[in-house]
Amino acid sequence: MADVDAARRELEEALGTTEVLSDPLALTLYARDAAMVEGGCALVAFPHTVEDVVACMQVAARHALPVVPRGSGTGLAGGATPIGDALVVVTSKMDRILEVRPEDRLAWVEPGVLNLDLANAVAPLGFTYAPDPSSQQTCSIGGNVNTNAGGPHCLAYGVTSSHVLAVDVVLPDGTVERFGSEAPEAPGYDLRGILIGSEGTLGIVVGACVRLTPEPPAVRTMLLDFSAVKDCAATVSSIIAGGVVPAAVEMMDHGIIVAAESFAHAGYPTDAAAVLLVEVDGLPEAVEAQSRAVENAARDHGVRTIRVAADDAERALLWKGRKSAFGAVAQIAPHYHLHDCVVPRSKLVDVLAGVYEIAGRHDIIVTNVFHAGDGNLHPLLSFDRRIPGTLERVLSASEQIVRLCVNNGGSLSGEHGIGLEKRDFMPLMFSEVDLGAQACVRAAFDPEGRMNPHKVLPAGARCGDFAMARGTDAAQAAQSIPEGSWI
Amino acid sequence: MDLIHPMDKLEVAKALRQATADRKRLLVVGGRTHVDKGEPCEVDAELWTTQLDGLVAYEPAEMIAVVEAGMRVGELDRILWDGGQEWPCDAPPRATVGGVIAAAATSPRRLRVGPIRDTVIEMEVVTGDGRLVRSGARTVKSVTGYDLHKLMTGSLGTLGVIVQVALKVRPRPRSRRSVRVAGGLEVGRRLLDAVPGPTAVLAMPEVVELRLEGWPEETERQVEATDRVAPVTVVTEEGAFPFERPWEASAVIAEAAVPPSRLAEFLTRPFHDLPGPHLGSWGALLGVGIAWVGLSSSDGDLEALRTRARALGGIAPVVKGPGGLGNDVPPGLDVHRRLKASFDPAGVLAPGRFWGGI
Ligand SMILES: Cc1cc2nc3c(=O)[nH]c(=O)nc-3n(C[C@H](O)[C@H](O)[C@H](O)COP(=O)(O)OP(=O)(O)OC[C@H]3O[C@@H](n4cnc5c(N)ncnc54)[C@H](O)[C@@H]3O)c2cc1C
Ligand SMILES: Cc1cc2nc3c(=O)[nH]c(=O)nc-3n(C[C@H](O)[C@H](O)[C@H](O)COP(=O)(O)OP(=O)(O)OC[C@H]3O[C@@H](n4cnc5c(N)ncnc54)[C@H](O)[C@@H]3O)c2cc1C
Repeated sequence: MADVDAARRELEEALGTTEVLSDPLALTLYARDAAMVEGGCALVAFPHTVEDVVACMQVAARHALPVVPRGSGTGLAGGATPIGDALVVVTSKMDRILEVRPEDRLAWVEPGVLNLDLANAVAPLGFTYAPDPSSQQTCSIGGNVNTNAGGPHCLAYGVTSSHVLAVDVVLPDGTVERFGSEAPEAPGYDLRGILIGSEGTLGIVVGACVRLTPEPPAVRTMLLDFSAVKDCAATVSSIIAGGVVPAAVEMMDHGIIVAAESFAHAGYPTDAAAVLLVEVDGLPEAVEAQSRAVENAARDHGVRTIRVAADDAERALLWKGRKSAFGAVAQIAPHYHLHDCVVPRSKLVDVLAGVYEIAGRHDIIVTNVFHAGDGNLHPLLSFDRRIPGTLERVLSASEQIVRLCVNNGGSLSGEHGIGLEKRDFMPLMFSEVDLGAQACVRAAFDPEGRMNPHKVLPAGARCGDFAMARGTDAAQAAQSIPEGSWI
Repeated sequence: MDLIHPMDKLEVAKALRQATADRKRLLVVGGRTHVDKGEPCEVDAELWTTQLDGLVAYEPAEMIAVVEAGMRVGELDRILWDGGQEWPCDAPPRATVGGVIAAAATSPRRLRVGPIRDTVIEMEVVTGDGRLVRSGARTVKSVTGYDLHKLMTGSLGTLGVIVQVALKVRPRPRSRRSVRVAGGLEVGRRLLDAVPGPTAVLAMPEVVELRLEGWPEETERQVEATDRVAPVTVVTEEGAFPFERPWEASAVIAEAAVPPSRLAEFLTRPFHDLPGPHLGSWGALLGVGIAWVGLSSSDGDLEALRTRARALGGIAPVVKGPGGLGNDVPPGLDVHRRLKASFDPAGVLAPGRFWGGI
């Protein structure tokens, strides 16, 4: 049993008493992220410096405490949800932009910097930070790095891993390393690449060197409205098949349009079955040519109207509806459960039909607002879990949706990650051998298995056969979730 | 030296299980266009991947191609051409897809197309002890477990044999122009600032070559913008890029990587500290930070070049001729060693070839 009191005293000594919490309210507050599952923790620490984070790791190592890194807690897979006697290390007070260097098109930031704050800070210099998750007002770069976050504009610009040149990491043994480089290549294996998307299971990110993208000279935003979901979805694959990759292609179905409209008043057509929000950018000539191609594809599929944003204000309004969609669905029911599967674009029409069918069969309201250009679905199940039997129906529908996507050649998650909520689905995609190899990667960083245990890999995944010398049994023991620790 | 030439991935797995049992050291070989990259290492046999050359799946509308890793780049180019797409690695046609990925070589068009690692979305690999392991997914986005394919990219065949990959491909631009102007690094820098969205700005001692890609109206405008900075002397449509690679005539080529803004300092500071003959021909990818530098030998010059690269926060491994990677220690050396021990427990995959003596 870990000596939590001793650990708390040592942490208070290192970080100061105000930066270590263990009162019941704090422990409840940090017992979950934005996903459904709820856990529990023993201590919450708020480091301000790299040295503070090193101290957290050393104290945790001395007392065999599991460590759960946490940014803003907007994660949707339970990645930052602690289980058991964990030390939650919240990086939100490490929130400085350390350097912006236009001549190298890069910036160094601390992990707690919010995504939108970074984008706003570099805008006056004519740059943007391309990955723009819908949660960008609140989510942190550290969280983005660890979930390999995406966003509407990742269709043309790529997800977080394409925009992070280097990361400074405190490893579980307290050593600090820089993976990656300001230079385009670095010596060694691409540990930067492995760390991105690792959901806080390999170390704590204490700094990131991000790539800045020049603002495009011209942008055009269009809202295309359809009377059938399948025409809308078919337009997406047809745009891409025509050799045009817009900056963003987002789809919203009727339920979302109605909810978002009453919230954002963007003038969305509330009688449409579905709309596409398409943005093209580049030189004015390219914008012109791409718009034509998009419009032609939409006409081929019976688009009703095409609204082109006349100015920046209208463009911002069209996006406001999209970016506030998740918040807006709170009007439908008090709780929601969100999936994040990716399917081949050519399967969008069939899979969407399947999603509606599954929801209907389970008598659950489903709405869809998602990164259609990437094939990244976000079926959103709305419900009231106080009604007996509802949660069971939601979980059953969820499992069927996930299976449907994987059976159509899809992936469990496009950007939210696996965390706690999807880890038991991993065997749908990977064999025991595959998962064993993944467990080895994890063990190479964290031989004692203390970093964010229970996350990403299902309980059975073992590195053992891969001749790892030590630590695997402890790591295994840590992987089984104590009975009753979450709903 | 023994030769192993497997027909399919199961044979690769069998060969590696055998090699592990016999402690027989192997060098994985694809098109053999880049085997000089890496520290010298002794092996007992070569494993050739070139019979693993099948097309597994290609659906142009998905912008994803799945191929066996021994497929030649020239063959893949032809397949993708028919779908109006490309995998922008620009390696020689006889190089293999697996070799390009394992060497993580840089395309001259990296400014626009990005590093090769961003194009690999799913991979099957046979580990040193003969396990067939898959990671990633055939979708353009996936955050589903640990991306082993990232680890394999650039691993120089020291962790496993890449047997199959899914690649994110891109539409072939409708207009492709290569442009040449007189000048060097300074003109190149001005072009990088003045020309909107170039695909490549390659500076050499006396000339700058640009690659411009996009819609025809777009490249037209880019050529005009170039011409305003420095008179365009040659334009080709569809032509190769670059026109030539003069540094390739040298006996030794280093592929240096430094922060992009340090390229000028890296290349133009007087090289009087070099003991041997001076720097030969070079080509630098502006905005990227890669410089190919030709040297007449790997004696004193190479060490001086590496010292300079290190001082600027970079590296300078050799990609042709003797000289190896350099003695920079990779960060997280213990993690590296544990990875090697997990994936190649008997140490049969080109031991010592990688950074840090791995
Ligand atoms: C309304 C809404 C909209 C969303 N839209 C999107 C979207 O469009 N695209 C998208 O990708 N996601 C989206 N998300 C999900 C979420 O915002 C992202 O996953 C985001 O990257 C999480 O950042 P965070 O700072 O909140 O991280 P947290 O939730 O705190 O943590 C996420 C994971 O990263 C780890 N972690 C956090 N910080 C560190 C660190 N410094 N070092 C090591 N590990 C760390 C945690 O352990 C956890 O596993 C949305 C969420 C909401 C609520
Ligand atoms: C004239 C010239 C121009 C070039 N230009 C470019 C360019 O523009 N862009 C570019 O990307 N590259 C370029 N290269 C580099 C090179 O050709 C390729 O990038 C590629 O690395 C070589 O592939 P290959 O099949 O010949 O590999 P090889 O030379 O056979 O092997 C290279 C390395 O990869 C390992 N390896 C090979 N196959 C596998 C596998 N299946 N699994 C695991 N490890 C493997 C080998 O062990 C070795 O360490 C150029 C090379 C030359 C000679």
